Amino acid sequence: MSARTYDAIVVGSGMSGGWAAKELCEKGLKTLVLERGRNIRHVTDYTTALKDPWQLPHNNRATNDDRKAQPVQSTLYLYDQSTKQHFVDDNQHPYVQEQPFNWFRGYQVGGRSLMWARHVFRYSDLDFEANQKEGVGIDWPIRYADIAPWYEHVEKFIGASGENSGLPQLPAQVLQPPFEMNALEKHIRKGMDAAFKGERKLICSATAVLSREHNGRGPCQGRNQCARGCPYSAYFSSNGVTLPAAAATGNLTLRPDSLVHSLIYDDAKKRVTGVRVIDAVTRQSTECFAKVVFLCASALNSTAILLNSKSSRFPNGLGNDSGELGHNLMDHHNGGGATASYSSLLDRYYRGRRSTSMYIPRFRNVGKREPKFARGYGYEVYTWRNSWTRGVGSADFGADFKNEITRPGEWGLFMEGYGETLPYHDNRMWLSNDVDPLGMPRIHVSMSYRDNERLMAQQMMDDAVEMMTAAKLENVKGFNNPVTPGSVIHEMGTARMGRDPKTSVLNSHNQVHAVPNVFVTDGSCMVSSPTQNPSLTYMALTARAVDHAVGQLKKGAI
Amino acid sequence: MTDRRSFLRGSSVLLGSAALGNVLAAFAASPRKATFFNAHEMSALRAVVDVILPATDSPAASAADTHHFIDLAIPACAKPAAQKTFREGLASMVASGFANQPAAKQVEWLKARAAADMPLAYDQSFFKMLKDYTLTGYFLSEVGATQALAYEKIPGGYWGDVPLVANQKAWAI
Repeated sequence: MSARTYDAIVVGSGMSGGWAAKELCEKGLKTLVLERGRNIRHVTDYTTALKDPWQLPHNNRATNDDRKAQPVQSTLYLYDQSTKQHFVDDNQHPYVQEQPFNWFRGYQVGGRSLMWARHVFRYSDLDFEANQKEGVGIDWPIRYADIAPWYEHVEKFIGASGENSGLPQLPAQVLQPPFEMNALEKHIRKGMDAAFKGERKLICSATAVLSREHNGRGPCQGRNQCARGCPYSAYFSSNGVTLPAAAATGNLTLRPDSLVHSLIYDDAKKRVTGVRVIDAVTRQSTECFAKVVFLCASALNSTAILLNSKSSRFPNGLGNDSGELGHNLMDHHNGGGATASYSSLLDRYYRGRRSTSMYIPRFRNVGKREPKFARGYGYEVYTWRNSWTRGVGSADFGADFKNEITRPGEWGLFMEGYGETLPYHDNRMWLSNDVDPLGMPRIHVSMSYRDNERLMAQQMMDDAVEMMTAAKLENVKGFNNPVTPGSVIHEMGTARMGRDPKTSVLNSHNQVHAVPNVFVTDGSCMVSSPTQNPSLTYMALTARAVDHAVGQLKKGAI
Repeated sequence: MTDRRSFLRGSSVLLGSAALGNVLAAFAASPRKATFFNAHEMSALRAVVDVILPATDSPAASAADTHHFIDLAIPACAKPAAQKTFREGLASMVASGFANQPAAKQVEWLKARAAADMPLAYDQSFFKMLKDYTLTGYFLSEVGATQALAYEKIPGGYWGDVPLVANQKAWAI
């Protein structure tokens, strides 16, 4: 047993943890980052990054053994021989699906910041005010003005490219020039501008991928193999950006293979004094101590740590006076969309593989109120010229067939909406008494989409068809597929912020109401799930919370 | 067609025929050993991948060892039910003496199989699996990606809207 003492402890090294580490270290705090998974060193450990398809087993196709070891992870679109090492072994890290729930996880230094989809949008007051205006859930304790400087702070450091929409629901960001649209996208943009007069528009998505060099990183080399880890540091990850910045201060101690079991609460001090850690390799327990703890272990895991931190003061989990801990679980839903083709512009092509998509910002419930559902959705839009894969399903073969499919085919399009999910009290996670192989109580998850999401998904499909028809695409076909919760990998809301300790877990600075030296700054803090991808908001809230925490420490308030 | 009896009958015919010479020639040309399929099956596979993707302005599928890709990938990647479908389909090919048929007969056989298989689900269709594994094996091989298609390991950037030049190959990935 060794006891270690630091100024600050950060649990988790992903999107939020990397930011907490950087900000704490840069403000002079000796900071311990505890990561439950193995170390992945930037570049050095990206073992598949530069492999050609033929250098990967089975030309990059997943095997039956892969699916057996990773039955949930292997269903993800990103999963293949080049990325599987960044996803957990589901059998080693079991959870209980009370209803079907896909929990995609990366237990390693960098967490899911290694494999994320990289879209970075700001939320606006349309989002922050919605719960209050509609009487849904509880009110966000912050407004756009509170977070705007922190969005800017984060954007300037991470480096992102893309187009500002000029729409109030998607506030302007600090962005490098966007990646170029291809010929079909330019065509769609024109068609939509003509049909919808700027109310619905196609833009190049704001993405944490560098179109220009930034602080010695990038630019993007057009490989579109981000999830393997980028040898050019051209997309944002903890491994490549925040953790190196934290390490450069000399204040960082990074401990991989260190699972946090629970927080140590001192009744007399009314503070958390440290954390109990299980070594994931030796399974030995140890304790680490600090003045302040940041939980950044991902929504379900940070919430599990709080629920597992029981004391006489907090018999139902630390900070759970409200009873809301584990409740109000949200994820986006992306079942509605359309596919289409286009048989003109065949003299145009592209070069390189763009690692971002086009985007259509939210337009529903922006001005006028929809009768059928609350909130809205934005679309990711992907286009291409058909490749050899179009030959797989056909009955043809032979020399003519080969000549045909080795030339660029017609244009194709796939677009899907990303819809807001409302917070429902009974969408939740909890712990049971049986423990996983590392000694953590098992996480149970129960979540379903409701009428608001279902009605929205129908409109998502109809609007996609309407827009692509207006842009004069061909073979426009809508789809509205059922979505298994968790699949969008934006799980959030299980330790929500709020003004009132009776109905929320965290205050407006992500601080546990009753234990002010504990901060939770990952997705668990979310009060609603806006349309936009959430990572940028987690990063901004983290930087903002660190600033507050350090101010409080200096004042002796915590 | 694909019952065990016809399979055995087909095999015995093959064993006594010139097929053996064909099998030996296949092994002489390729130092790789099969892991999952037997010599007759490999011989049929080698023949059929070249019927699907013959030599054109780029090498044929067998020149990229596509049949060996299939030999490794079917047992590793195909689900058990699909593996069974594939084995049975291949057995019926062997039984038909596919490897030694003249080109026109091979095309005829495969066309008939394609027509019969199109309504079937993937896991039940030998033809659909064969197309999938042949195309994946070839177009993501070094020969297929760099000679039949265009491959840039590191494009160096992204250019969204460029003119297509005459006879330009499609990107492999």
